[in-house]
Amino acid sequence: MTPGATAVDLEAAVAPSERLELDLDVFDGPFDLLVTLILKDEIDIWEVRVSRIIAEYVVRLAEREEFDLDATSQFVLLVAALLEMKSRLLLEQDVEEALDELDPEEAARELLARLVRYGQFRNAGAHLGERWALHAGRLYRAAPTPAALLRRPADDVVLPAGMLAAALAPLLEEPPRPDTSHLADLAVSLVAELRRLRTILDADGAFSFHDVAPQSRLERALTFFALLELHAQGEARLRQRRAFDDIVVTRVAPAPA
Amino acid sequence: MDHLARRLEALLFISPRPVATTELAAACAASEVEVTAALDALRAEFAGGRHGLELAAVGGGHTFTVADDCAEAVRELTGAQRPDDLTPALLETLAVVAYLQPATRADVAEVRGVSSEWALSALEERGLVEQCGRSEAPGSPILYGTTGRFLKLFGLEDRDTLPDLEGFALGPDDVDALRRRLVSNAERRR
Repeated sequence: MTPGATAVDLEAAVAPSERLELDLDVFDGPFDLLVTLILKDEIDIWEVRVSRIIAEYVVRLAEREEFDLDATSQFVLLVAALLEMKSRLLLEQDVEEALDELDPEEAARELLARLVRYGQFRNAGAHLGERWALHAGRLYRAAPTPAALLRRPADDVVLPAGMLAAALAPLLEEPPRPDTSHLADLAVSLVAELRRLRTILDADGAFSFHDVAPQSRLERALTFFALLELHAQGEARLRQRRAFDDIVVTRVAPAPA
Repeated sequence: MDHLARRLEALLFISPRPVATTELAAACAASEVEVTAALDALRAEFAGGRHGLELAAVGGGHTFTVADDCAEAVRELTGAQRPDDLTPALLETLAVVAYLQPATRADVAEVRGVSSEWALSALEERGLVEQCGRSEAPGSPILYGTTGRFLKLFGLEDRDTLPDLEGFALGPDDVDALRRRLVSNAERRR
């Protein structure tokens, strides 16, 4: 995916009515402008936090009354393109470093070795061609074994009609509905969670993640996401003594006016 | 022919696929050594152009095949046709898969220096290679291997029957010629 080839496609993908305004550390403005600047190498893609873009968009979505599937699909496409660009840069860096390590003589030896290896397989392919010429036209038995010689011919089996009916009956029954309780619609709202955590912070000044996080995995993830957002907005400080320990969240006092 | 050889002849006649020595031994209640000896006798009986069939060891087992000078009459009766020939690109790709299997698309491309996506698809359509799992490398690329049909069409008993890959290595003169060509190409570009 070359920047030149995708710039027009990506820009056109953002609907004019959905101008997502972003407030990132490296950029402040519409999302589509951010994508354009990345493609033109005017902003370093490594400094763009895709999670921040997603968080801001989710907040915007939650504030709307209606859900626009088309606009959201286009947003998902743009974010996916950004993630792919970042992942490709990871791979390209590794390959370029490997090539830069070779001096001209080493590169020539490497090329010769590859050509020699290719020649070996080309010769093997030629040998297969000779075998093909000798053997591919051979004819083998293709007819199936006659039914009369099968170990248990079906014609000899006699089944009572009642037994057949009993065997077929379960096939006609409605199968049980699969249990989808693990897929139940869970209404999670980042905006509502932020409001809840802000209320707790205003009341108590501090709390621990384990005390406020709900039990379900999805809701716990949402609470964690909301914590990151509070931290990014400068509203809360997060502290953790050791890896995987509880997270203590403390309200950051607003700067004096 | 002794009784065991006659029973093997009957089994191989009736089976629509190559039958392994172990299966023949189980069906005849005989040892594999006895079956192998009887198969050698059977092979000698059907060799030399005395019959319209020959005994072949392909595809992991033993089977009868039509003698070459009788194939035309069989094709006339059955309408069977010889499969289309393989291009050099397909043969190269097939050789890489046969010797490196299980091989990924990237393994093939690394040897041939070009994308082999089309070649692998074509070989898959012709039943000569098949997908046989996924690699543990990042991205879990598909692994390819040769099929039983590959063994049959190339007259191979099993994969070990393929000649050693080292036997196809370029000789010192060929390597020197390659090296000289690389150098002269580089000098022409300067």
